[in-house]
Amino acid sequence: MRIIPQIETPASESYASFEGSLIKIINGMKKSGLSGLDGPEGLPSVVLEQNFGINTLILCKDLKDRYKNLNTAYAFNMRDKNRISIISDLMTLKRIGVKDIIVSEGLHPLKTMFKAAKPVYDIDVFGLALILKRDFMNSLHGIDGLDFFNLGVVIGASTLADELKAKKLIKTGVDRLIVNYTGENPDVNMVNYIKSENKEVFLYIKESDIKYPLDDFIKSNEDLNIDGIIVKVVSEKSNIFTQYFEKNEI
Amino acid sequence: MFLTEKKDLKEIDEALSKYKKIGIVGCASCASVCLTGGSREVKEMERHLTASEKEVTFTISIDEPCDKRVLREDIRFVEDEMDDTEAVVVLSCGTGVQTIGEFVEKKVISGTDSRYIAKTEHIGEYNALCGGCDECRLNFTGGVCTITLCPKGLLNGPCEGHDGVHCEVYEDSECVFMKSYKLLSKYSEEENLNRVFFPRDYGLLLKQIKI
Repeated sequence: MRIIPQIETPASESYASFEGSLIKIINGMKKSGLSGLDGPEGLPSVVLEQNFGINTLILCKDLKDRYKNLNTAYAFNMRDKNRISIISDLMTLKRIGVKDIIVSEGLHPLKTMFKAAKPVYDIDVFGLALILKRDFMNSLHGIDGLDFFNLGVVIGASTLADELKAKKLIKTGVDRLIVNYTGENPDVNMVNYIKSENKEVFLYIKESDIKYPLDDFIKSNEDLNIDGIIVKVVSEKSNIFTQYFEKNEI
Repeated sequence: MFLTEKKDLKEIDEALSKYKKIGIVGCASCASVCLTGGSREVKEMERHLTASEKEVTFTISIDEPCDKRVLREDIRFVEDEMDDTEAVVVLSCGTGVQTIGEFVEKKVISGTDSRYIAKTEHIGEYNALCGGCDECRLNFTGGVCTITLCPKGLLNGPCEGHDGVHCEVYEDSECVFMKSYKLLSKYSEEENLNRVFFPRDYGLLLKQIKI
């Protein structure tokens, strides 16, 4: 089971220190064997998230230049981009060789520091799945070869509505589902259902929601039929990974 | 009904600062129901403008100021006064304000803020149920509009932000998709549970607008 850190670009000018912390995490992941720079084909080693910080595409390019074999995934949400902007991102991602995309609908602006911002939600995650997997916008020029991308979608867990959404996403052709791990226990039924459909499944959890040290957390989920756990790094400097590296002298 | 709210009088006073002779038009339909433009509110506005040393040239309540046919009939009652009027305060939604402005060819000042198409629970308590989006999907959702009732306007299922029951934004309310799926199950419309909606065509909205 792979543990994949997800980190968003900083919403400040401290890019240099952020980059330093990120490199420490990536190197630590490689040494610890939790994730790694040369992981299996198709599985990302690190997820870089676009929220309201520095443009993540630049960071993806930066890391691609620095680590030839680093498999980065680009995460973004539907709150911030309309279909025009998304097409632009897809073209850029293809150009720089990032093939793993993770999308969510995104936290509503009312729940962020930009409460008065107009949310976009031009298309939902299905809209992107239709663009990538069903050639929904086939009249557009310059975006041939959309099958280059692996699409992962973040979904909730535990309700009939989530289960139906997962079913519809699988039918639409998404490659991976990332199931929110918010309560004490992961939704085992959801995980097993997704695996039964031969799709990759990851759990998604914020590091602040992990109640134990990382190794204990990993052990407690070892029996799950999942491909990995994506852990959202909340503090770039002192996070669950750096604590793990220190404890294990990595 | 189209819901409106009274504007702050300061904004109205500022907009009227260059004008002395003012007419007032109320709306006897929607704005009357939501207590922003009925005959009582027209009287209130008249009292305020008189106290502000304006000359009120006429007051009138029109059944539907947004309907040009009705407007044409009713505005004849104040035709003479209109000639001697510099500006008209309109207590209706934005559609009424603009319809009157185009018709009378005078400066019009809106006395309300336009909000949304509303269901009236009681006088003073309203709910938005329809966004007038031009692609009605109610026949496939159990009769609840996820575009209007989901704060993200989603079409195909809940976002990842709910807590198992409640909406991420309206924390005291049930996620509209949970409600939709319950209704679809109740009406035995399982085929609609798996329906994938294509992205909306926002171009349709523009086709209705003539400037």
